[in-house]
Amino acid sequence: MSDINNGGAAPAPATPEPSAARRRLAASGGTGALLRRAGVVGGLAVIAIAIALLKSGSGLVVWQSVVTGLLMGGLYGLIAMGLTLIFGVLDIVNFAHGALLAIAMFIAFGVVQGTGLHPYLTLLVAVPALFLIGAVVHRGLLSGTGGASLENQLLITLGLSLLLENGLLMFFGAEPKNIALPGDFQFSLFGAVVAGGRLYAFVGALLIGAVLFWLLRRTRFGTAIRAVAANGQGAELVGVNVRRVHTVTFGIGTACAGAAAVLAAPLVTVTPTLGEQFNITAFVVVVLGGMGNVAGALVGGLLIGLVEQLTTIYMDGQSSLLGVFAVFLVVLFLRPQGLFGRRA
Amino acid sequence: MSARKLVAGLGACAVLLAAAGCGGSAPSGAAGAAAGRDKGPVKIGALHPVSGAYAVDGQQMRRGARMAVEAINANGGIKSLGGREVELVAGDTQGKAEVGQSEAQRLISEGAVGMVGTYQSAVSTNVAVVAERNEVPFVMDVTASDEIFAHGYDYSFRVQPGSEVISVAAAKYLKEVSQQAGEPVKQVAFLHEQSDFGSGAAEAFAAAAEKLGIEVDPVISYDAATVSDLTAQITQVKASGADVLAVAGYYRDGLLAAKAINAVKPDLNAVWGVSNGAFDQPKFVTDVGALGERYFSTNYHFDAQDPQTRKLRAEYQRRYGAPMRTGAVLAYDAVQAIAAGVERAGGTDPVKVRDAIAASKVEPLTVGSGPISFAPNGDNENALPVLMQVQNGKVVQVYPQEKAEAEPNYSVTWRS
Repeated sequence: MSDINNGGAAPAPATPEPSAARRRLAASGGTGALLRRAGVVGGLAVIAIAIALLKSGSGLVVWQSVVTGLLMGGLYGLIAMGLTLIFGVLDIVNFAHGALLAIAMFIAFGVVQGTGLHPYLTLLVAVPALFLIGAVVHRGLLSGTGGASLENQLLITLGLSLLLENGLLMFFGAEPKNIALPGDFQFSLFGAVVAGGRLYAFVGALLIGAVLFWLLRRTRFGTAIRAVAANGQGAELVGVNVRRVHTVTFGIGTACAGAAAVLAAPLVTVTPTLGEQFNITAFVVVVLGGMGNVAGALVGGLLIGLVEQLTTIYMDGQSSLLGVFAVFLVVLFLRPQGLFGRRA
Repeated sequence: MSARKLVAGLGACAVLLAAAGCGGSAPSGAAGAAAGRDKGPVKIGALHPVSGAYAVDGQQMRRGARMAVEAINANGGIKSLGGREVELVAGDTQGKAEVGQSEAQRLISEGAVGMVGTYQSAVSTNVAVVAERNEVPFVMDVTASDEIFAHGYDYSFRVQPGSEVISVAAAKYLKEVSQQAGEPVKQVAFLHEQSDFGSGAAEAFAAAAEKLGIEVDPVISYDAATVSDLTAQITQVKASGADVLAVAGYYRDGLLAAKAINAVKPDLNAVWGVSNGAFDQPKFVTDVGALGERYFSTNYHFDAQDPQTRKLRAEYQRRYGAPMRTGAVLAYDAVQAIAAGVERAGGTDPVKVRDAIAASKVEPLTVGSGPISFAPNGDNENALPVLMQVQNGKVVQVYPQEKAEAEPNYSVTWRS
């Protein structure tokens, strides 16, 4: 920690101006504008649901799709929140996010197998572990790339994700793992089936999102993070330890993936390559919500969850990703800065 | 570890990678290969995904092929060649079509007289092209897609029943079993993954079912690579009023389907797997527990009643500590077919071996309606899909009668 306020060693402020994404993170505060845009998104969602109703002719089917979509969407949002935080503050597009998620699932699996603990209690292990892994990854692999070209970061995170996936394959084998949720239940919400595990995951995602928001808005450290995101050089000049903020932010972003992993573990089949499944969706959510916008990530997640489910009603026989990408393209076309990003 | 050691290790890796790359891309070198075939053990190539996402099955299948080779050698090798031993030369496809292709090329240049593989239709499609070009026989163990056999290849053979054969049998068995149970099937909802495999199964099933007077509606698809919840799809099934749900998918999504079915509890008389990658796996039963009880599955299967198969599976379990899956037994059968071809040809010239494979008949350890016998297009004409069911936490064969270990129980747990 000797090189802390060493301006020469801290590479990030090398760019004279904070990047657009950083300013976006800093500028994402306007609550009124945020609510207005959320209203627009909500309105469009209602129209989409109405069309689905016409297409399917069964209220129950559409209602179930909406419920399932929102429940899944909360989880997508949580995964994307970590990703968008890392992007907003560090300007790193972390392709290893999905692989880190898979690591957390295997940690959860290992702890449940080894100790018989309730799956959700593995949050106490997986979240700190992922925070540490994230911090180590940042210090060891990424902290030197701040001023380097984007390709360097892409290659490093992509390589890391391959390494992690194949490491998991080596240690745990390719056999799919299953984590059972003790005392799982389900109930009917106006006819739609809601599984307990999915509800817990949804509520958990919202809670963690709230905590993250509070951390960024109301704590001293959160202020430091926002300061670094807005203007690294300026933050450094007023005595913020930029390198440490970067490392901790990467850790927090990764810990979000860890939390999402534990919440999702009982709902999916755990395999080493599982991260890929969530990676694409998470990236779409991040861009959709406005790169670097944490609240946007949550709303974007809900939206994508909904779109995914409604697509299966609109277009039978097509990948649900088709609808996701269609929405993605339209948003990029109309609002290149994302739904909740502010034009730079 | 010293830095020098690390550098040396990395260097060795680089050399190995380069060598593998060269081996893969080099032309077949027919002269070298022929020289390699004439002396030493007779080489049979095995191409399976032993790393990557399909490694579990890939490793199973390579072991199955290896056990077949060992059995042949223990039995005195190839008798028509004076007891020459057989050797398995193995390649890893990593589950990727282009890797499978280069590995096939490598095995041929190493002198393989025939190849078995590959578990995935896309990989087999590429390997079949290499086999055809080099005139080396390729006997597929697991490859569902029927498309490969539409090209009129001479060097491609297949042991397992193809996708269409399984789907047609699934429709026929469904009609018969439901009639026997006194609740003839009326409307089937078909849920399938959307790649060639699942949609091919759905189309073939629908065509066969309609001929039998069964309505297939709705047909619902999903993306197996990204799906993480099938509740909405199963709700659609429930809303349709179908009395049977047919499912064609892979393992992971099979589990999701079981969980969703349990959550939604549609008014079904049966859940009917068609070429399903989950419903007849012992692991499925342990993973979903009671949820999977009474699920049906029409698929290829090891012959549970054949004493030789039982012996082989017991040996596998003892050696590798895991139950031997059908894929591994099919790999065993495929190696047997090539060895029988060499035996009959009395030589190692792949073209002659090909003709001999086409003419020979081999007793399979997987379910068949007779010996493995290849139709002119290369498909095993005696391959027989079998209906299995999860009963009391075990997968048992229930239909057709002559292969049945137990009576089919045409019902679902949540409605009785």
